[in-house]
Amino acid sequence: METHARPVARTGAGQPRVSGTRRALLLGGAALAGNTALAARLWQLQVVESDTYREQAAHNRARTRPIQPLRGLVYDRNREPLVANAPVFGVWLAPTDLPPEREGPVLANLAVLTGERLEDLRFKLSQARLAPDTPARLARAVPRESALTIEERRQDLPGISVRTSTRREYSHGDILGHILGFTGPIPAEEVEAYRRQGVRFDEDIGLAGVERSLQIRLRGRDGEQRLETDAFGRALHELSFTPPQVGQHAVLTLAVNEQQAIREILARHLALRERGAGAAVVLRPNTGDIVALVSLPDYDSNIFTRGASSESFALLVSDPRRPLINHAISGLYPPGSTYKVIAASGALEAGVVLPQSKIHCDGRLILPDGWAFDDWLPQGHGLVDLERAIAESCNIYFYNVSGGNPYTRLQGLGNRRLAEFERSFGFGQRTGIDLPGEASGLVPTSEWKNKNLQQPWVTGDTYHAAIGQGLVQVTPLQIAGMYAAIGNGGRVMRPRLIDRMLDQHGNVAERIPPQVRGVLPISDTNLRLLQAGLYRAVNEPQGTGPRARSAHTVVAGKTGTAEYSGARDTEGRLPSHAWFAGYAPAEQPEYAFAVLVRDGGEGAFAAAPIARDIVDYLVTGDMPPLPQDRPDFISPDRRL
Amino acid sequence: MLLRLARIEWATVISTIALVAFGVLMLSTTADPDTRGLENQAVQKAVLGTLGLALAFAMAQIDYRGLHGLAAPVYLLGVVALVLVLLVGDFDLGARRWFELGPIVIQPSEFMKLAAIVAFAKYLSDRSDSTRSLRTVMVSLGIMLIPASLIFLQPDLGTALIFGAIWMATIFVAGARWWHLLTPVVIALAAFPFAWFFAQDYMRQRFVTFLDPGSDPLGAGYNVLQARISIGSGGWLGHGLGQGSQSQLEFLRVRDTDFIFAMLGEQLGLAGTIGLLAFFTLLTVQALVIGLRARDMFGRLLAIGIAAMLFTQSFVNIGMNVGLMPVTGITLPLVSLGKNSLLVTLLSVGILLSIHSHRGAAPFRQQSMHVVRGSLPAAGPRGGLGR
Repeated sequence: METHARPVARTGAGQPRVSGTRRALLLGGAALAGNTALAARLWQLQVVESDTYREQAAHNRARTRPIQPLRGLVYDRNREPLVANAPVFGVWLAPTDLPPEREGPVLANLAVLTGERLEDLRFKLSQARLAPDTPARLARAVPRESALTIEERRQDLPGISVRTSTRREYSHGDILGHILGFTGPIPAEEVEAYRRQGVRFDEDIGLAGVERSLQIRLRGRDGEQRLETDAFGRALHELSFTPPQVGQHAVLTLAVNEQQAIREILARHLALRERGAGAAVVLRPNTGDIVALVSLPDYDSNIFTRGASSESFALLVSDPRRPLINHAISGLYPPGSTYKVIAASGALEAGVVLPQSKIHCDGRLILPDGWAFDDWLPQGHGLVDLERAIAESCNIYFYNVSGGNPYTRLQGLGNRRLAEFERSFGFGQRTGIDLPGEASGLVPTSEWKNKNLQQPWVTGDTYHAAIGQGLVQVTPLQIAGMYAAIGNGGRVMRPRLIDRMLDQHGNVAERIPPQVRGVLPISDTNLRLLQAGLYRAVNEPQGTGPRARSAHTVVAGKTGTAEYSGARDTEGRLPSHAWFAGYAPAEQPEYAFAVLVRDGGEGAFAAAPIARDIVDYLVTGDMPPLPQDRPDFISPDRRL
Repeated sequence: MLLRLARIEWATVISTIALVAFGVLMLSTTADPDTRGLENQAVQKAVLGTLGLALAFAMAQIDYRGLHGLAAPVYLLGVVALVLVLLVGDFDLGARRWFELGPIVIQPSEFMKLAAIVAFAKYLSDRSDSTRSLRTVMVSLGIMLIPASLIFLQPDLGTALIFGAIWMATIFVAGARWWHLLTPVVIALAAFPFAWFFAQDYMRQRFVTFLDPGSDPLGAGYNVLQARISIGSGGWLGHGLGQGSQSQLEFLRVRDTDFIFAMLGEQLGLAGTIGLLAFFTLLTVQALVIGLRARDMFGRLLAIGIAAMLFTQSFVNIGMNVGLMPVTGITLPLVSLGKNSLLVTLLSVGILLSIHSHRGAAPFRQQSMHVVRGSLPAAGPRGGLGR
């Protein structure tokens, strides 16, 4: 205490020993000012702005989780289920539980355990981070062993868990691939668009077939669970729960057994060929109901949802016949002679010819400019009227009535009016079937040719259009619709694939009624003439379609041999698609159909027998004998 | 003894008890309900607070001037501890600040604050005739910079800055020239761009966050934003003790230490926050008053240093809770969880009580009574604020 040896001043009025009083008071003032500022700020926060912060606090603690509905099912006409939601092990992520610094190793582990690609997992994670409170599905279905491994290794995989999920399982996926389609993950480039519709990135959506066209109705509507959670996202208790609205179920117009049989018939005929490909469409003429819709080769819906081996995918993708495309509605082909009925009806309605007018066919028509147009029968058909022209498929007759004849001065129907009639039969536009990817085809006109080929329209173009060659492009479904309209008295129906939608209790939520797209501008009398021609084509000795004749009912129809540009065969002929289209029974038809054998040669030999087998099956319910066992069997390599 | 007890400065004691009680209340709402007895953090605080307060009462009986001789050794001991903690301290939360001796954790920087206050007071009161010289200012600056730099290296910028504030207040009252004090401030401001360049990332981040907490609400700005939401949602009277989703559901992090004020704001509302602020103000003002009444310059500077420490810490902490100050990791003295801080603060209160109870003999007291009874200008010939 040496330093305190100095006496301490205690004399009251004297100068204080201690200095700095004013400065200390100044500090005190500063402290008071500082604390006053704090008090003012507290007033601002707790009184003035309190409501805002109260709201933010409430928002902090409440978490909303979407509850996904179960996807609706699809039934056939007899209420046989065509798809089920099968339980599988899904791998889920709680984004907030996965610290960013551990993402790398966790994703790498998951890639190995689930078989998902690392870049896909990264993308999903980045998407999941956008809504950190909602669990996100990283892998749709993993094998049981992987699921167990993931559960065992939870320590290494923070935020990852295995939960039941569902996968679409198609009970007849092998025969209904093109109709049902399949579901799968949203393509990365469409994720944003789906998000705007309220569909999360980790959902499966319909990617093809009915699964795609009915996506919105099959999906249903999200439910919602509001949870009170703590800052770590742990759910404490439920604040509210809105159950999801289960997706609607669809009932198709077709029956599995009929589709299966008709596919089988087509498959058996195609099996006789090397790399056979073709399509068959059967409709109910009066309603447009689809009875069968087959495009071969096809695919099994299940390989997309089960995850097929990469080899089988590669096969599907590399096959030049393009099995992933539903050629019955998306394939475009020249229709060949099945198209001649249009020129015939147009010529009758326009008064170009009378029903009994005869036109001479000597097998060839040479225009003054030197272009020659042949009949398929080199010696010609002689004098033919309309019915015979249809029955015997005389090209020369249709050249005359469509493009005219400079020697006889016959004024033809002309390109413009022919195109109008083509459109009235439903060509050049989509039929409106409830399937994605339908093609509209092409009704060629001089305007179209000018614009797209920069070439003028010539008489030969009209000739070609009249016999379904050249620029005309149609789908098998359109051809079937055309014959249904001729068979039902002139109504062009929208093909009906969906009969009704059911709610989750099985009650009808919506009926989809038959819909008339248009009425043919053809009088009943003239329509009967066309029908007679189609009857004679099958049932008279000179007709082109005797091989479509059925022992059980009366078939009316038309062959088509549609040449297309490709390598010519040994006799110098172009390759051709074989068609047969028609309806049965000829009176009061129950079925209308179109059969296409791609690169099948003559319609009369390749397609007509298939149509007959289909009609036989539909009328009797029995599978017809195998093609090569038939007495009139003609090997596909033996063409006329 | 009784005489001394009668000289206890009760306003200081009451505000101290009130602040510790606030802390005990808050900690009891976040304590793990499974803990019993002394395992409970609130009970621990209450017990340590009571013991510390008893110690403070005991200190009031001892003449604070005993510290004069202890200043140098305690200061040196503190510096050695700070060096040691940098070398062999326990690494936790990204810093090396602690010695863990079994269940007891010692944080030398807390004790160093008090050691530095005593050292300043001794050095400056010994040189009360030459405080206007630059040399004295520079030496005292050195006394401050040695521990502050060591603490800055831990790293603990906040605590290091507290040393600066204590030094500033002490030397200001000790009588340094204005320009001696303003020069370092100007230099500091001028050096800011360079400091920014050399600063560690967390410091820059905190500064940016302070300016705009919404810039990264889930990252660095999270705590600031959640603290503001907690306080704001408290309203007039708060959600009640143990209530409030922000603190109970742990949206508010570090709620037992840095952001205990925000928790108080949510649970007790404006009534609680203003109450707490009032007790801090009272404590600070009392510390200043005790300093003004001290019998000697050593006592005055001690009290000024303690007042500066209490005020700076509470102001910076509350300021950071309400978004007026950047986040510096400074806890709220007496209220927050830390035991080292609580003990050191109660020791400081003990020193204050000692300065008060030894403030002098009758004439001095009469004068001070005079001040209390009459108006300030009547305090003496030198007048007062009124002049």
